[in-house]
Amino acid sequence: MAREQRTERSSFRRYFPPKRKVCRFCQRNVRDIDYKNVDILKRYILERGKISPRRVSGTCSYHQRRLSTAIKRARILALLPFLED
Amino acid sequence: MTQYETAFLISPNLEEEAIEKVISQMAEVVKKKGKLINEDRWGKKKLAYPIQKFEEAFYVFFLYEADPAVPFELERQFKQTEAILRYLTIKKETKEKEVPEEEKSLPASEEKPTEGEDVGGDIEEEAVEKKKKDEEADEKEEAVEKEEKVDEEVSLPEEKEKEED
Ligand SMILES: [Zn+2]
Repeated sequence: MAREQRTERSSFRRYFPPKRKVCRFCQRNVRDIDYKNVDILKRYILERGKISPRRVSGTCSYHQRRLSTAIKRARILALLPFLED
Repeated sequence: MTQYETAFLISPNLEEEAIEKVISQMAEVVKKKGKLINEDRWGKKKLAYPIQKFEEAFYVFFLYEADPAVPFELERQFKQTEAILRYLTIKKETKEKEVPEEEKSLPASEEKPTEGEDVGGDIEEEAVEKKKKDEEADEKEEAVEKEEKVDEEVSLPEEKEKEED
């Protein structure tokens, strides 16, 4: 993406900030995210197996770190794919 | 004594009896020098991707309390056992270290608009984390960082890295 475009988009975002999303783990008062809980992890995986960024899912930084650790562990044990075609 | 959780995957072409033998052999390693708190068997489960050409494996999880020598001994035995397709040991966090209430309820999206670049999940997340470390000299955040480091992998299988994108 060209640098100019990005600046344009940034200023647009500054005046029209995206709607603040709420972290679903905080909402449910969940502290630990277990890598064995594959059903929950799957909700935070985008197509091709990527971890959904905070910007999209609204997860707070604390839980995003835990989520990312859990997903990586689940991948090692083949509970989740590394890459999905 | 630390609490550990070790997961291991057993080859699906083993007879039931042989599987029992592997599990009890590993359980003995734990019981010898530690305390096996829970043994969880998921049975034969389809793998998210094939490992050594196998499409499924037996999943077993041990939760135990022991000195670091025990997970290391388990790892040594896993490596020697052909039927073990994969394993992972993590340190469990102790319950006393509760996260302060304010930490849990931090608002979700604190990113500045200029920082939102369209990179893939993993990469972006790491970048954001680094930026955050500079931004937030907040003690609350620091406390969590330290706690996070406690809960880390003790051992990883060798093939792990190359499969990542
Ligand atoms: Zn959260």
